[in-house]
Amino acid sequence: MTPSSTLGDPGTRVGDHSGAVPGGTRPAYVLGGNRTPFARAGGRYAHASNLDLLTAALDGLVARHGLQGERVGEVAAGAVLKHSRDFNLTREAVLGSALSATTPAYDVQQACATGLEAVVGLANKIRLGQLESAVAGGVDSASDAPVALNDRLRRALLDLRRARTPQARLAVLARLRPGDLAPEAPTAGEPRTGLSMGEHQAITTAQWGITRAAQDELALRSHQRLGAAWDAGVFDDLVTPYRGLVRDANLRADTSLEKLAALKPVFGRGLDAPATMTAGNSTPLTDGASTVLLGSREWAAEHGLTPWAAVVDAEVAAVDFVHGEDGLLLAPAFAVPRLLARHGLALEDLDLVEIHEAFAATVLCTLAAWESETFGRERLGLDGAFGTVKEDRLNVHGSSLAAGHPFAATGGRVVATVAQELHRRRAELRAAGEDRPVRALVSVCAAGGLGVAALLEAA
Amino acid sequence: MTDGPGRPRRETVLPAVPALGGLYAAGARASLRARLSPAGRAAAGRPAPALPDVAHVVRGVTADADHLTAYQHLLGESATDTLPPGFVHVLAFPVAMSVMTAPGFPLPLLGMVHLANRVEQRRPVRLGDRLDVRAWAQDLHPHPRGTSVRLVAEVEVDGETVWTGVSTYLAKGVAAGVGAEGTGMGGTGTDGTGTDGTGTDGTGTDGTDPRPLPTARWRLPADTGRRYAAVSGDRNPLHLSVATARALGQPRPLAHGMHTAARALAQVGPARGDALVWTATFGSPVRLPATVDVAVARAGDGWTVTGTGRGGRHHLTVGVAPLVGT
Repeated sequence: MTPSSTLGDPGTRVGDHSGAVPGGTRPAYVLGGNRTPFARAGGRYAHASNLDLLTAALDGLVARHGLQGERVGEVAAGAVLKHSRDFNLTREAVLGSALSATTPAYDVQQACATGLEAVVGLANKIRLGQLESAVAGGVDSASDAPVALNDRLRRALLDLRRARTPQARLAVLARLRPGDLAPEAPTAGEPRTGLSMGEHQAITTAQWGITRAAQDELALRSHQRLGAAWDAGVFDDLVTPYRGLVRDANLRADTSLEKLAALKPVFGRGLDAPATMTAGNSTPLTDGASTVLLGSREWAAEHGLTPWAAVVDAEVAAVDFVHGEDGLLLAPAFAVPRLLARHGLALEDLDLVEIHEAFAATVLCTLAAWESETFGRERLGLDGAFGTVKEDRLNVHGSSLAAGHPFAATGGRVVATVAQELHRRRAELRAAGEDRPVRALVSVCAAGGLGVAALLEAA
Repeated sequence: MTDGPGRPRRETVLPAVPALGGLYAAGARASLRARLSPAGRAAAGRPAPALPDVAHVVRGVTADADHLTAYQHLLGESATDTLPPGFVHVLAFPVAMSVMTAPGFPLPLLGMVHLANRVEQRRPVRLGDRLDVRAWAQDLHPHPRGTSVRLVAEVEVDGETVWTGVSTYLAKGVAAGVGAEGTGMGGTGTDGTGTDGTGTDGTGTDGTDPRPLPTARWRLPADTGRRYAAVSGDRNPLHLSVATARALGQPRPLAHGMHTAARALAQVGPARGDALVWTATFGSPVRLPATVDVAVARAGDGWTVTGTGRGGRHHLTVGVAPLVGT
C-alpha cells in the first residue's frame, strides 16, 4: 500500500504496514500499562499530590518494562483538578522519574476524557512516524484539590501588585471586606448551567426512564467483576502498590443488591421523577494515577516487549446540553456510531465494550439510546436502532463504579486493562487453532458535554 | 410594537445621563408626599391624570469598558465588545427613570412592580458606539390591581434605531383615568401559582404538562440584589437588603427582574443571534436567597427560558426570537 492510499484512511488494518511511512500511517500499539491502586478521596493518598501520584505511576511503568534511563519519544498526561503551579505537570513527573531527563512531555486536559485523549494523540503521532514510543497518562487527586481565592480577593491582590504608590496600595486594600477572605468553595458544577454532573445525569436518567433497580444491578456487577479480576490476577501486570494500598480501595466485592437498595438517593431529588441515583450507583471522588506504554512494532521488538493491541482509530463528539438538546454525558452515544461506521463495524463486531461508568445511569442511558429506534432514526440518521451491547461483553473486569474514578486517570486504566484482555483473548483463539480480529471499544464521557471513543484491535 | 400614541412630539434634552441615586431619592420623596398629604390620600382610588406628552433625551451615551466587563461577568457572559441587550437597558434606564420622577408623572415610583419587558434589537450595540437615548411613558391602563404603564426607551446609533425597550410597570392600588382597552402586555404579576408546576410525578399521563426538566440551576445568594445594583446602578431599595425590602412591604429582598431576564438571555448564549426580540414576563418574585431551576427549550426559531422556584413557583418566562421583517 502506498502512503497516499493510506492517508485519511483511519481503517488501516493491523499489520498492513511495517516501518514508518513519512506522512502515512502504521499501527501504534499498546505495549503495557501501570497504575496506582485507586484510593477514595481523603484515604491513603490524602496528602499525595498529582505530581506524586503521576510520578509513582510512571516509575512503576518504567520499572515494569525496564525503561530506566531510557529516552521515551514523548509523555503526555494531565489532570482535571489542577493547581496552576502544575502547568508542566507531566514534564515535572518525567524529571522526577527514572526516565531519561531528555524525555519530552506535554500536558493534556479534556476533563474525564483526558487520559483517553492522551492515548489517542500519542498513538496518532506514532502512526504518523513522529514518535517510536510514548507514555500516555492521567492523574487526579480529589483530596489535594486546589482551593481558589475568592474572586474579589484575588483581583485585589493582583491590583495590589500593580499599584505603584502606598496610597494606591491602601486604596486597593480598603476595597476588601471580611467576606472576601473566604475561599471559593470548590464545585463540580458545569460552569454554564450551575448543575453538578450528578444533577445533570439525574435529569438524563429521568428523560430515559432508567430505573433504580437497573442502576443497582449494574453497580453490583461492576464490583463483582472487578473483585473477580483482582482475584484472577488480571492486575498483576497493570498495578503497582502505592502508600500501602494494594487494591482499589473503593472495591466492595461483597456488596449486594440489598445493601445498594438501602442507600438514599443523592441526585435528582428536586425533580418530579423519582430520585434513583445513590452513592452506590455513582462513582465516588477518588485519588489515583495511570499510565499506558505505547510504541511501534519495531520499538517494541527492540525492547523485548509484546504488542497487546493496536489503537486503530478514535472519534470525539460533543452534545448541546446547554439548550437541553441532549444529556450532559451522552456524547459517546454519538461518537461511537460515527467511529464504527467509518470502519463498517457494528456493535456485535466488538468482543469487548468499555463504557466508563461515571454513573451506572450514564451507561444505561447510552445503551438505551443505542437501542432506541427513534434515537437511531432522528438523532443518528440511521434506519433504526444503532444496536445492543451484550452484557457479557460490557465492562468485563468491572469499571469506575467499583474501581473509582480519578478523573484523568480513568482513560489509562481502561485502555491498559482492555488491551491486555484483547491480547489474552487473541492468544487463546490462536492456541485453539482459530484466528480473527478481536476488537474492543472504549468510550468515555466528560464534562462540557464531551465524549471520546476509541477502537482497539488485538495484536 | 405598541398600541399607544407612540413617541411624544415634545422633547426635554438632558445634558447627561442623570444619576439614579438622586432620582430614587426624588422619587421616594414624591411617593411619600403623595401618600401622606390629604390630597394624595384622597387621590388614591381616584383616576390618575394623563401622562405628560414629553420624551427625555440624552445624546452621546457611551459604555465604559470596565463597567461592561463587570456586567458581563455577573451574568456569566464572556467580556466581548458587544453590549448585551440587557446592558443597553442599563445605559438607557436612568433616562426612563427621569421620565418617571419628573413633575407631572402620575404614578408613585417606589413599590412599582415590573410586570413585563420587551426589547427589540435590530443590530448589536458595540463598545465605542455613541448612543442617543430617548425615553417616554405611554399606555396608562387600568389593571386589576392598580394601574399599568409602559416606559419606552429608544436607542439610536448614527440616526438609526438599533434598540427599543418597553418596560411594563404596575403601580398597585392606583386607579387609572385614561384608556380602558387592556391590561397591558404579558405578565400577570401574580404572587403565586404560575401556569405550570402541577407537582405531578413527571409522567404526564393525566394529560397535564409535566414541569420541564431543568437545563440549569441558579443559586442566587442573599447579596444578589446588591451585586446587580453595583453593575446596573439601579439601587431600588426593593432589591438591596431585608431592611429596605421590608420598608416596601416585602419580607426579603427580591432579585431584580432585569437581572433574571438578562441571565436567562445569557443562558441561551450566542444562539440568540444578533437581531432579536427578547421578552420577559415576571410571575412570582424571586425572594433572596433563592434557588431557581431554569429550563431552556426551543420555541419556533428561537428559545424559551422558564425560571421555576422550589415547589413549582413560576418566576419568569423569557422568550428569545430572531427579529424578522425589519
